[in-house]
Amino acid sequence: MTVFHFFNCAILTFGPHAVYYSATPLSEYDTLGTSVKAALVYLGTALVKLVCLATFLKVSENESFDPYQELLKALIGFIDVAGLYFALTQLTHRNISQNHKFQAVGLGWAFADSVLHRLAPLWVGARGLEFTWDYILQGLEANANLVFSISLAALGSLMWLRKNKPKTLVPIIYACAGIVATMPSITSYLRRGLGWHFPKVVGFELFTSLAMAFISWQLFSACQRPSA
Amino acid sequence: MAARDLGGRPVLESVYSVIALVFVLVACAELCDAATVVDVYRLIQYDIAGAPFGSRLAGLNHHASSLHFAPGADLSRTVLVIPVRDLNLGYVKDYLSQRQPLGGLLFLLPQIFSFESKENSGNGEELLKNIVMELEQLLIHTNIPYPVYFAFENDDINTVLADIKRNDESGQPATATTGGYKLVVSTTEPKKVASPVISNIQGWLPGLKADGDPNQLPTIAIVASYDTFGAAPALSMGSDSNGSGVVALLEIARLFSLLYSNPKTRGRYNLLFGLTSGGPYNYNGTHKWLRSFDQRLRETIDYAICLNSIGSWDNELWIHVSKPPENAYIKQTFEGLSNVGDELGIKVGLKHKKINISNSRVAWEHEQFSRHRITAATLSELSTAPGLFENTGSLADSRNFVNEAAVIKSVKLVAESLARHIYGHQGKNIQIFADEGSLAVNPSYIRSWLDLLSRTPRVAPFLSKNDPFVMALKKELEEHTEEVILQNEVLDGMFTFYDSTKATLNIYQVASVTFDLLLLLVLGSYLIVLFSFLIITTRGLDDLISLFRRPPSRKVKTA
Repeated sequence: MTVFHFFNCAILTFGPHAVYYSATPLSEYDTLGTSVKAALVYLGTALVKLVCLATFLKVSENESFDPYQELLKALIGFIDVAGLYFALTQLTHRNISQNHKFQAVGLGWAFADSVLHRLAPLWVGARGLEFTWDYILQGLEANANLVFSISLAALGSLMWLRKNKPKTLVPIIYACAGIVATMPSITSYLRRGLGWHFPKVVGFELFTSLAMAFISWQLFSACQRPSA
Repeated sequence: MAARDLGGRPVLESVYSVIALVFVLVACAELCDAATVVDVYRLIQYDIAGAPFGSRLAGLNHHASSLHFAPGADLSRTVLVIPVRDLNLGYVKDYLSQRQPLGGLLFLLPQIFSFESKENSGNGEELLKNIVMELEQLLIHTNIPYPVYFAFENDDINTVLADIKRNDESGQPATATTGGYKLVVSTTEPKKVASPVISNIQGWLPGLKADGDPNQLPTIAIVASYDTFGAAPALSMGSDSNGSGVVALLEIARLFSLLYSNPKTRGRYNLLFGLTSGGPYNYNGTHKWLRSFDQRLRETIDYAICLNSIGSWDNELWIHVSKPPENAYIKQTFEGLSNVGDELGIKVGLKHKKINISNSRVAWEHEQFSRHRITAATLSELSTAPGLFENTGSLADSRNFVNEAAVIKSVKLVAESLARHIYGHQGKNIQIFADEGSLAVNPSYIRSWLDLLSRTPRVAPFLSKNDPFVMALKKELEEHTEEVILQNEVLDGMFTFYDSTKATLNIYQVASVTFDLLLLLVLGSYLIVLFSFLIITTRGLDDLISLFRRPPSRKVKTA
């Protein structure tokens, strides 16, 4: 379509990140540095992931769903978790609370992901004459991805940074983190294994992202209670 | 705990709104199409002595509309998509004559007119053919200041058309504010074709000269014009006019080359075969060809038979002459043809039309011969002389409307009467080219050449000097005849042609500006809701309220 449409889609894709940063206390504590660092870690992780994918995965000729390849892909997807672990624990952050640290890391992570995966297709495609819903859906997907990243970062900070958490919650935390981390594989299965269309997949992603966010929020506050 | 309760309700609300949005998107997504690409053929653009005719533009970038547009709508930025099937010719005529502004025209031709289609022509198609021919004449002889394109109907374009019609009927003409379909042809400005070349091909079958005969052998010429002119040069195949004549000429050349290859059956006449170009332009190529003959050669030609449109008749053919029927050669030729015709069950009629030397219009090929004082006649299924650019390879003149059997019968008629004349068997009932004999007309030869001609556009200005098609014709004539010469001449300067006859049309489904504005509004409110929601959950409602209170208080201070 037009530049106008591109502008709209860009707002949908990148707007929520900015809003999240300015609306939450992140902006008050000036955690931009942490986010930038997390974004850089994301870049490094993406590079490692690409190398792994190129090394271990066969190029599939058709769009069919191959369980073995997908399993491998899911395993490689766990490199993300490793990257997140690095960003959360190994990087020296300015003295900010854990509460804000995971948010900043998740935000930086999601923003880097959006820029890397969605900016170029948007620039190329959304300015074309033909109208499709794809770029709007892609923007919604970016929103879901933001929520997922922050949930994962929250769960990660619970797993690795918080020492005194209720014993009963530990398996739940790990299970949730596992679900969120395998989300890319689940959506890929839905799209190719079950043949879902893009709008349906995006709807599913939005729904699950909200659900996971709600669960991780509850877990986080449950863990916070005894210490408080 | 209080903060969490407050936060819980917006979570649910936002979940509901997101789910609703998803449902709306899923519902809408099924309407989307990818861009459609269609081959389109532009209406010819040409000048006669500087006067412009045809479609004067090539580039197109407008919204599409069907004939169901709202009355009084401004169409200057709209392309009308008109399927020829439900074309109202009077309406188009009015529209063109009133010179109303229009973004462009796209005519959709039924598949029956394309070479690929294998449908049989019925009565309805006959009617359709007449409509197309009438439309064509109208478009060719009008100066149209916007692009006009032709395309063949297919499933893609029919879906698009149905959509456009639905939009038009709902009273939403396609404009920038309502979306719809956009038709885009991106080509460069049409350029003049520099000095168009017309190529004539001639070949001889020399007769057997008796020893010690000082006189030259008489010659009989068989001539057909092979090029075409139609509304869309890239679709101007002219299967009947004059593909059928070319095929008949080649087959006659083949038959007589068999006879002439044996000295015993070699006749005492030279046979001259001529494939001429420039037929639609007052037989300009024939004129140039005849002028290149020297006087002695011209005098040896007894008579010439021109073949024109002999592929779709039922049982009546016409011989058109410009000399009075009392002329000895004419009488002889006509009697020869009508005798054979009687045997084959073909009615052959004679039409006499005097030529007017002061009029530059040459309606029949034999008139060029008559102007050069050579006796000639045209064999044709047409009973009256065609006008300028009439019956010269129209859009409707496609393979489906040509009857092979008719071509075969014509070949038999001409070959048989020629052979009787050459071997002196006039009035005798001898079948030289009998169906079962070794000299039978070959139907598969005729079919294959008819097929080739029916998929080769042959508008002379767009054929290059060494065009593969012209070379193929030359090669085929070389197979059967001797001394084949390809003669390239420049078409007389009265006509100017413009290129870009073929293009690709991209059909885009576009969203409207209104939609984008609405989307912006929705996105803006989404971000605002998100912002408020985040502030309420992380800092509390008071923060949000204070965010809105602060600015006015500051203003009060500065004031």
